Amino acid sequence: MVPFPLQKHKKFGILGKLLISFLFLAIIPLLVLGYIAQKNLIRMGSAAMHRAEKMGLQNLRSAEQIGKEAIEDSVAELDRKSTEAIELRTYELAQRVADFLYARDKDTLVLTALEPDPQKYLQVYQSWQRDVITPGTRPLQPEARTSPPVVSENPENRQSWRHLSPYNFPRATIPLYKEISFVDLNGREKIKIAAGRISSQLTDISQSENTFCKAENYFIHLKNLKKGEIYVSRVIGAYVKGWLEQTADGLRVNPKSAYAGKENPAGRRFDGIIRWAAPVFEQSGRKIGYVTLALDHIHLMEFTDHVVPTEQRFTDLSDGASGNYAFMWDDQGKCISHARDFFICGYDPETGREVPGWLSEKTYNEYQQSGLSLEEFVKQLPPFRAFSLQKKGSPEQMQAGTIGLDGRILDTAPQCQGWHNGTEDGGSGSFLIYWSGLWKLTTYAAIPYYTGIYGKSKRGFGYVTIGANVDDFHKAAIATKQTIEAHIQEQGENIRAETNQTQRIINDSSRHTQWAIIIVVTLAALVVSGAAIYISLQITRPLKKLTAGALAMSQGMLDQTIDIESQDEVGQLAQSFNTMAAAISKVDHMKSEFVTIASHELRTPIQAMLLSISGLLEGYSGQIDTEAREDLELAREGIDRLMRLVNDLLDLSRIEAHKIELHRTLTSGREIADQALDEMKSLAAAHHHRLISRVSPDLPEVEVDRDRLVQVMINLVSNAIKYTPKGGDIIVTAEPQGDAVVFSVADNGYGIPAWAQEEIFKKFFQADSITSQKVGGTGLGLTISKGIVAEHGGTIHCLSPLPPDQFPDLPLGGERQGTLFAVYLPLQSAPGSNPNSL
Amino acid sequence: MAGTKILVVDDEASIYTYLQKKLSKLGYTVFVAIDGEAALQQAFQHLPDMVLLDVKLPKLNGYEVCKRLKAQERTKGIPILILSAKTQSREIQEGLQAGAHKYLCKPISFPDILKEIKALEEV
Repeated sequence: MVPFPLQKHKKFGILGKLLISFLFLAIIPLLVLGYIAQKNLIRMGSAAMHRAEKMGLQNLRSAEQIGKEAIEDSVAELDRKSTEAIELRTYELAQRVADFLYARDKDTLVLTALEPDPQKYLQVYQSWQRDVITPGTRPLQPEARTSPPVVSENPENRQSWRHLSPYNFPRATIPLYKEISFVDLNGREKIKIAAGRISSQLTDISQSENTFCKAENYFIHLKNLKKGEIYVSRVIGAYVKGWLEQTADGLRVNPKSAYAGKENPAGRRFDGIIRWAAPVFEQSGRKIGYVTLALDHIHLMEFTDHVVPTEQRFTDLSDGASGNYAFMWDDQGKCISHARDFFICGYDPETGREVPGWLSEKTYNEYQQSGLSLEEFVKQLPPFRAFSLQKKGSPEQMQAGTIGLDGRILDTAPQCQGWHNGTEDGGSGSFLIYWSGLWKLTTYAAIPYYTGIYGKSKRGFGYVTIGANVDDFHKAAIATKQTIEAHIQEQGENIRAETNQTQRIINDSSRHTQWAIIIVVTLAALVVSGAAIYISLQITRPLKKLTAGALAMSQGMLDQTIDIESQDEVGQLAQSFNTMAAAISKVDHMKSEFVTIASHELRTPIQAMLLSISGLLEGYSGQIDTEAREDLELAREGIDRLMRLVNDLLDLSRIEAHKIELHRTLTSGREIADQALDEMKSLAAAHHHRLISRVSPDLPEVEVDRDRLVQVMINLVSNAIKYTPKGGDIIVTAEPQGDAVVFSVADNGYGIPAWAQEEIFKKFFQADSITSQKVGGTGLGLTISKGIVAEHGGTIHCLSPLPPDQFPDLPLGGERQGTLFAVYLPLQSAPGSNPNSL
Repeated sequence: MAGTKILVVDDEASIYTYLQKKLSKLGYTVFVAIDGEAALQQAFQHLPDMVLLDVKLPKLNGYEVCKRLKAQERTKGIPILILSAKTQSREIQEGLQAGAHKYLCKPISFPDILKEIKALEEV
């Protein structure tokens, strides 16, 4: 019987394959899908986020751009409006100055019409008065407008109602002229009104040293004046020094300097005049002398000193440091009115000579190397030579405090050249200049006053200029810009915060998705594993049943029916198996039946023969002679062999079909051995063998089929007898060995070659293939013996040649190789417990 | 011995003929039945001293014949020797349970049969 391949490595076969298949079919695609879904989610989220961020930032940038453009437009518009307003203000200021100067022409002519009489002169002198703002007379009040604001009585006027209270600056009424005089044809003063009274100190004004600041020389100009013609001088006054000092907060006016408005309110003021003069004729037409009027320069200053080109509009106290103020230049370009009085060009009252204006450091160095006096050097300098903002004012002049602004030589200030150019045709305008770290608007307007020397050019008397900080015009717009920028920055931060939040949300959802995928995959894995186990059970359970059935069949239990209900392929397999098992069982049954019937049917004729022959041999049919007896004996032997063959065949068929019936009874091993020995006694004697029994006295009882085991022992002993040369020894032993009883039959016979020691247990083994002895047998005895022993759960072995020390009293040698057959019978045994029996 | 009535039940002519001939020659009164029903009929009719009974019989098998004879008051004392080609221990067991005195397996020699008959006579 071939050992059935057991299902050891099949345990996980189908389940494992199913699991792997399901893994590939379900879990891996799920994982891949999950991975892709997650990646896409992150990518989509990130893309959306980045797009949102980009759009937000784009919006922000366009807002920034729009804001910038709007602001730039606003700035430009505000600047333009402001510029226009300041230009207009400059222009009107110049007009008013011109009107004022023309009014002085009229005063002059009025005076020429008067009879030269001190009292009359005093009268007109006293009537020619004009208000000036006098900031020094009271504590400074920057908020001069303190009266309660006027509101609109009519609601319809309330839209954008903007009211400005009057400028209540402190004022003083002072004479227009410092002096008026009548001078004879020789230049001697005949009448002079000065300091509010008729002066007795009459001088010869043909001599300059007798004039204002010793600087006047008007008398020479008077001689040629015709009737109605007027002489007007330039501004004449003593130069008042000033010192600008560099401090951490910028330039500071040293207090010992000249008056400089807010910067130095206690300083000495520039004290100057403009001389008007005209010839006086008698009724007869004879020229009798000249009238002169010395206009107090302060009245000219009043036009510019209080103008502020900002919302403030006017001030009682100008502020040179603010950069927002108006000033005035004469026709030659010399400064004649300024917030800082030390910038006004003037004369040295000691010498009557003009104090040279401020030069650049470079030009001043030039002067120092020229060998000329400063006065001479300045005189020969071409006007407006190489003006540049890159130049610095000469520190020597700053130290000397002589820093009057002579526009023609002030080569650190290109704007002077600009104004001069701009007023060439008598017009007005503006330009920007980067002055003292600020973009400054500067306007100019020619003063259209053309009397006397001022008629030489269209520039007239000179020009009014206003300087203004451009940044102040568009402060509001800049504030708006800053607000917008703050908004934009805030928005930018919001967008960044939103982006971060979005990133967090994306990360969170990514993490959630990851968890969801893990959970789903885990669940899927569980479900799939469950399904795999279920399906594999569905397949393997019936397969196991089939395997068990097939195994049982292989062990001879052919009546196998596999109980499988499923209708699938496995069910069909089971049905086929059942059909096959039934067919095999039927065939087997038929075979057994055949053997049974055949043996039964054979027995009947044998019985008939046996009856006749045995009756004949025993003489029941009359006496027979010796020869007939011998013949009948042969027939009788034939019947016996035939019967043995029938019996052996029947046994073999039962053993093969596992249908041998064991009648187990508790039997002692001795009984079995003894009975076999007893039955074999005569046969052994016939072969002249010694039959020796060595049965252990303490042999336990065994539960066996006594007759069958006796049959086995007889078979073994008879074989020993037959295959041992005459006069041999046969030892039968029975002894306990652990949980078993071992019977053995040893002989000193021919022995069995090693190759045949397995073969001899196969059915119909031909003994004559290993021995020349012709002993007659069915060739089934050992096969049946082995089957019987196996049915008892035991084994049977063959050992040959016999080791000499096994049975020392057993003579071996030569043809006596010796053989030992051992039967091993377990005390506890189950039928068919050794499936490898046959 | 003379006059001992033996009922031989066998459907095989070569067997019952030989037994009838030889046993009669030895002085026994031999009745033969060749099927189960005939066996019962003969047994009731002749009330033999023993029955040599085959198992495989037409109409009624040997076990049944045995049982029925043992079931009847008149026949239950008749010793029955079953003589059968059925040699399995299960079959032997069944025969003995049916009430047979002894179960003899075929083939059996005539002297052995005679030995059994004589043994029964002595009882």
